[in-house]
Amino acid sequence: MVSVAYVIYVASFITLACTAAVGVYGVLAKRNIIKKIIALTIVGDTANTFAILLGFRVSANVMPPVLPSLNPSKELLTRFAGAAVDPVPQALVITAIVINLAITAFLLFLAVRIYSLYGTLDYGKVIRVRRGELDGEG
Amino acid sequence: MNPAFALGIVLYLCVTALVASILAIRARDLVKAVAFSAMQSVAYAIIYALLLAPDILFVYVAVGVGIYPILMLYAISKTKRFEEVSEG
Repeated sequence: MVSVAYVIYVASFITLACTAAVGVYGVLAKRNIIKKIIALTIVGDTANTFAILLGFRVSANVMPPVLPSLNPSKELLTRFAGAAVDPVPQALVITAIVINLAITAFLLFLAVRIYSLYGTLDYGKVIRVRRGELDGEG
Repeated sequence: MNPAFALGIVLYLCVTALVASILAIRARDLVKAVAFSAMQSVAYAIIYALLLAPDILFVYVAVGVGIYPILMLYAISKTKRFEEVSEG
């Protein structure tokens, strides 16, 4: 038995895969370095959303992974374990977001340094300036 | 809440994020690209709220809509705003 909710769930996965493909295309095909960094953040955020969607539970009485009381009874714990979404991807994703932020800040610093050294943000031009075929502007 | 309804909104926001990503990759103006990237971040933040991950929502709104665009706009202000058309 395949429900409507399950079909929409799988379609969301396919759409996220398309978004990741667009991001990978941007990283590989765009020549501007800052555009490459923007595409890299798109890929990272899409991977995070993929993990969160993987931990979701397609059911009617789903609840967040937070216990509603401090002294839970046994039947409350049983109901919680049967209805809560998976907390492990959420714990991993909250770490990955911060790591992505640090990596992006470092890459942007490198992009600003490349611009001040070579006078361009174009990847191919930077390589040609390094080979000495083109005069650097900076 | 009906799971098909919540997941339908998730699918709609996924398509919004896909369109925003395509526009961000295609834009020549880097400031426009950053704005479309922030739009994609807003869509993902609402997805996190619908998928019952409220802690990630709080972190991601601050990072995706606040810190990423500020860092990138700072880098763009230090360099060039428009992507140049390269000839190979």
